[in-house]
Amino acid sequence: MQRLDQEHHEATTPLTSTSQFIEADDDDLDEEAIPSFTHPGLVPSPHSPGQDKGKARAPEQLASAGSAAVSGNIGTPVNGAGAPQPNRRSVGGVQVETRYTGTDTLDEPIATTIGRDLLSIYTKLIQVLYPPRNNGSRDLLRDWDLWGPLILCLMLGILLSVNAPASQSLSVFTSVVVIIALGSLVVTVQAKLLGGRVSFFQGLCALGYCIAPLNIAALVSTFVHLIYVRVPVALASWAWCVWASVNFLDGTKIEQQRILLAVYPLLLFYFVLAWMIIIQ
Amino acid sequence: MAYVQIEADERMEEGPERLQFQSFLSTDARAANQESNTGRGYFSDRPKSSGFWQLEYYQPYFDVDTKLVLKRCYTTLLPHSPNYLSAHLTPSADLYGPFWTLTTLIFCLFLSSSLASSISAWLSDPGNTSGAILEYDFGLLSTAVGLVYSYGIGVPVLLWLALRYLGVGEWSVIEAVSVWGYGQFVWIPVALLNINPFPIARWVLTGIAFVVSGWFLVANVYPVLATADAKPVRLVIILLAALHVAVAFCFQILFFGYYPLGEVGPKDPAQPIETAL
Repeated sequence: MQRLDQEHHEATTPLTSTSQFIEADDDDLDEEAIPSFTHPGLVPSPHSPGQDKGKARAPEQLASAGSAAVSGNIGTPVNGAGAPQPNRRSVGGVQVETRYTGTDTLDEPIATTIGRDLLSIYTKLIQVLYPPRNNGSRDLLRDWDLWGPLILCLMLGILLSVNAPASQSLSVFTSVVVIIALGSLVVTVQAKLLGGRVSFFQGLCALGYCIAPLNIAALVSTFVHLIYVRVPVALASWAWCVWASVNFLDGTKIEQQRILLAVYPLLLFYFVLAWMIIIQ
Repeated sequence: MAYVQIEADERMEEGPERLQFQSFLSTDARAANQESNTGRGYFSDRPKSSGFWQLEYYQPYFDVDTKLVLKRCYTTLLPHSPNYLSAHLTPSADLYGPFWTLTTLIFCLFLSSSLASSISAWLSDPGNTSGAILEYDFGLLSTAVGLVYSYGIGVPVLLWLALRYLGVGEWSVIEAVSVWGYGQFVWIPVALLNINPFPIARWVLTGIAFVVSGWFLVANVYPVLATADAKPVRLVIILLAALHVAVAFCFQILFFGYYPLGEVGPKDPAQPIETAL
């Protein structure tokens, strides 16, 4: 019922308060061109050109939700109505993206809002860290956020600075945060420059979530100070990070001859962090 | 008699990017790719022209593959190789190699200095009888970032600006950065080898790296300076050599001369300098 209500709102006034506005990436062409998203049910049908895309898509999802189990191309259903799909439209010349969360978010308790955001972070985390679970589909990542990477980054910084000697804890925290922020920025720009078909923020989001294994390693080394335990744990989590992020890069269609060039910065980026964990 | 008015100042309005193409070496990746219209086929479906604020503008400078980058890296170590002078320029200079060479160098300096300090601490005091706790100075990491990027990117850009101001040579800024970036490649293996705890060996290795990278820079930069009409411009090479010596000393003293708890082997000749610092 909520959904129908929402539909009604959207039909009368396209810009309701229940839809969040996000400035769209400037490379929407790339996202549309990623082959894993071209499910026949999701290709814009002829009767919904351009402006009416937002209104026409929701019933379409309902219709194609049944075939999702067969093709396996649509991500895990959140509310039984398919993954939340961002809608694009242009308002006054500016392209914006409205994200329909599936419920009426205007008068719900704040705990529900935060709970839903945490759940979405958790789902994305699982998807990034264990790609085979969703057959390599990255539908959830289209709905990128930077909250998850921020939380993971701050967590790693705090864990490492707690471990560090008191005189250096601030500089350790600073360097961890700066390395993660600049590093993931540079690596994403790098993947785009090498011709990878990846949306900028989607890349940032995925690479940020890939830091999670290093958080585990940092947590372990907070309590276990034996070098024989810390080094294998840190190296294993480094390998996990790289595996997860390479899985993500796989979908960006970089040519075979230069995939190593795109992977090498990732190796370096995560190894710096792993090394900081080891030498604590 | 009818005539058509033509734009006489067309060349003046094309801007510096096109003027540099007069070198006929096709070292500018953008020009080269627009000429051949396909590049290496990686970006065939992309729009060909875009503003400098867009990422696509920089894609020609990253139009390399793994083999090419590796070849350009190790060619800088071989002065007798036939394409020592131009390997990093054919078919066109890139920015991938220089940037990641410098970044890897920073990381290797960080890795080497932290690992070397713990190894030399362990060797000088195997049972940790003094009970000292090894503290790594994380300030060194930011020092490495500042030093390496300012030398590897700042110096060539400044040199390029100066040469443009003097009107010397047809040299693109990409080419300059490329020479400096690839030239510092030799420091990466040397930084890793300098984990060894013997000060003399570290000095020798640093010296070798200094000579190899310095020779590469001189061999590539001097021909450009020599094209100047004014002879004194060639003296710039002395300034560059002095800078290179300074950077080599900085590397050796800050990163390869790191002894928190004493040392092993013969005495480090730089010890008085380090204590003075």
